Amino acid sequence: MAPAEHPPVRLSHVTLVYDGGVRALDDVSLEVSRGERVCVLGANGSGKSTLASVVCGLLAPDGGTVELAGERVCADGRPDLEAYRRARRSLGLVFQNPDDQIVTSVVEDDVAFGPENLGLPRDEIAARVARELRRVAMEGYAGADPSRLSGGQRQRVCIAGALAMEPAVLVLDEPGSLLDVRGRAAIMRVMGRLAAAGTTLIHVTHFMEEALDADRVLVMGHGRILLEGTPDEVFSHGPELSGLGLEVPFAARLSERLDLPWTCDERQLLCELGTVPNSHKTLMEEHPDIKHVCKLGTVPNSQVEHVTFSYGRGERALDDVSFEVSAGSSTAIIGQTGSGKSTLLRLLCGLERPDEGRVVVDGHDTSSRRGSKAARRAVGYVMQHPERQLFAETVEKDVAFGPRNLKLPAAEVERRVSRAIETVGLTARRNDSPFTLSGGQRRLCALAGILAMEPRILVLDEPTAGLDPRGRAMLRRVLARLSEQGITLVQVTHSMEDAARSERVIALDQSRLVAIGTPREVFSRDNERRLREGGLGIPRSLRVARELEDRGWPPLGDPLTTDELVAAIRARAERAKVTVPFAREGRC
Amino acid sequence: MLRIAIGQYYAARSPIHALDARVKLVCTLAALVAIFCVSNAAQLGISAAFVAAALALSHVPVGRVLASVRPLLVFLAVLSLFNLFFVRTGDVVATLGPVSLTSGGVVAAALYTARFALALVTGSLVMLTTTPTQLSDAFDRMLSPLSRVGLPGHEIAMVFSLMMRFVPTLADEASAIIDAQSLRGGAFDEGGPIRRVRSIVPVVVALLASGLRHADGLSRALDARCYEGGEGRTHLHEQRLSRGELAAALLTAALLAALALLA
Repeated sequence: MAPAEHPPVRLSHVTLVYDGGVRALDDVSLEVSRGERVCVLGANGSGKSTLASVVCGLLAPDGGTVELAGERVCADGRPDLEAYRRARRSLGLVFQNPDDQIVTSVVEDDVAFGPENLGLPRDEIAARVARELRRVAMEGYAGADPSRLSGGQRQRVCIAGALAMEPAVLVLDEPGSLLDVRGRAAIMRVMGRLAAAGTTLIHVTHFMEEALDADRVLVMGHGRILLEGTPDEVFSHGPELSGLGLEVPFAARLSERLDLPWTCDERQLLCELGTVPNSHKTLMEEHPDIKHVCKLGTVPNSQVEHVTFSYGRGERALDDVSFEVSAGSSTAIIGQTGSGKSTLLRLLCGLERPDEGRVVVDGHDTSSRRGSKAARRAVGYVMQHPERQLFAETVEKDVAFGPRNLKLPAAEVERRVSRAIETVGLTARRNDSPFTLSGGQRRLCALAGILAMEPRILVLDEPTAGLDPRGRAMLRRVLARLSEQGITLVQVTHSMEDAARSERVIALDQSRLVAIGTPREVFSRDNERRLREGGLGIPRSLRVARELEDRGWPPLGDPLTTDELVAAIRARAERAKVTVPFAREGRC
Repeated sequence: MLRIAIGQYYAARSPIHALDARVKLVCTLAALVAIFCVSNAAQLGISAAFVAAALALSHVPVGRVLASVRPLLVFLAVLSLFNLFFVRTGDVVATLGPVSLTSGGVVAAALYTARFALALVTGSLVMLTTTPTQLSDAFDRMLSPLSRVGLPGHEIAMVFSLMMRFVPTLADEASAIIDAQSLRGGAFDEGGPIRRVRSIVPVVVALLASGLRHADGLSRALDARCYEGGEGRTHLHEQRLSRGELAAALLTAALLAALALLA
């Protein structure tokens, strides 16, 4: 155990250079005190994951001094391997992919793996396993098989496994980036509990909202710590953050747009907006101009009629689902993990055939072999993490794989490849290996490979999952461009904001369709309870608007985007002849 | 979606699950050798009873066992056809044009297929009732003489068990990549052998990249959890030879004796 006066982590002037000359860490100094909760923010390639590896003793730097858990493991770039071994016993790490961290097939055995390696006595291991599983709220799953758990549950098992080693510091390197909203929320709850119990936490993430509860926030860029301070201090540097490929939390953006006192706390923002005297209610007419009326094409280009489907003899993955997709429209499918979303996509691109009902894609009924073949030609399917399908030596060759298979003439292949690469904005990287691209670029490269098939319908399974804010923005821009070109988009998404930007939303829960319509219809007040039961939320602008209405504001007309929310708040304020903020009445 | 059931653990509390993995492995090995020597109906009956008893004790549903051996059933069918038509001993039972079936062929087809099926079920039962860590620890101890002469006995065991753990993960990824590439016009079931081999390159390379990513992640996880080989490791579950192990050993010995007597 480290003597009390030693901080668990102390780095001074640490530099780390990867093969090929990339400076992943450049003169980084950092001290973390016992019980502190530090959040490290940064885009892909900012050096934040390298920092995590250095802090948990898995990478020794090339220069600088590192002290971990009271051991001087690296002095002026000279690592002491024995000290590293000792220090690692008091350092815990949890990273992105739970599948890579679980070593065995029973939950409690996996949690026991670390303590077993430490050579602890059996009774002690058993006690720790039970205690940590309880701490991450997984005590009911001690005997379960991890491969049958959800991603969020598996990640909690990994956290328990790290905690069971009783680390002086727990490093969490993007623990939620591969999880759905519910899984991420559960991880955040566990972290809150750990912080309250005095565990020293270092949390690396690119979700800005997750940094709000930290004691201290570090922003990394180009291998350096560029900003440091409390969440409030750091997030007040909006322009600098967006320059680094990050974004400020929603509440901060909103407070800025409304000229309110700056805050990144949503509660506080709502207080600032205040409650409105009841008299103002009468000033409001009911329905302001409704934007977002979707102009649905007259010709549906795909139909799903009373489709029921199950894998093998198992439970139904889809149960009597019907809807139409019109040509050139954009549709979002929402629902929590296991609701049948991905299955629906597989049916739409002819990879599966329905047990009952019919799927017609671009005029081809997929129930026949010929029909499903024709449907596959009309549809481009972007699977989850499509970058996993990359294989060729260069971006160009990878993108050309599809057109070549179609046996098109060389000139046509060339035309399609160039066009697809240009659409996704990778022209400059055309002759590079796809494996040297950043995460977001790799995904765009995979997307280009599908676009080169020139599909009329593009079906995407969680296209933004696991990307940093910059990657997400790039991908959204490309999708918007494709939509303008008249390509029909159908995407499964966990982001209610992405769903709100689509023309139509389809909500699934437990294999059944629970809501369908324009975002405005689906996210209506009547549906809110039903969505919540299905593990779904509503877009945050709408959430803020509803909250304000509950506090006495006149109806704000269901704004779905930040722009609409800001406009609605300003319009109401003007009509009520008051300025924002309204005079506050009573307590908040 | 493709679900590979080979090597999947089935969690339950049963005498078979609780058995020390070393004893389980040695008994299984002995039983497998014995089953492969089965040459008459009486021996087959005794072996079948032994396997059935083990299955019943294990609390693993029969469907689960069958699912895990299903990929090998084709092989089994081919094997039995071979025996049926190519074993030429005994009397001719039936004739279909140029092909004739002999009694020896029928017996061989039935016997060899049955004993091979029993062996498959036995093997899969071990995988279904033993976790990768238990397997690795058992191998570790059984291979420890190797470590004494300087060979990486423990590491071999760990690699083997992690391989079993990653089979389902990689199988899922392989099927996703195959779907994705075939939607881009990759044809995996057309053309001659050379074209077929060429056509799986996009899948194999992508899968290899994915395997390397997992390996990277895994080595990070093993380091972070202070895995430094078998030395100094303790165990949550006690591996102790008790009455259960003794019973298993005696029952296996009884099987061997019975088969020898009936030979």
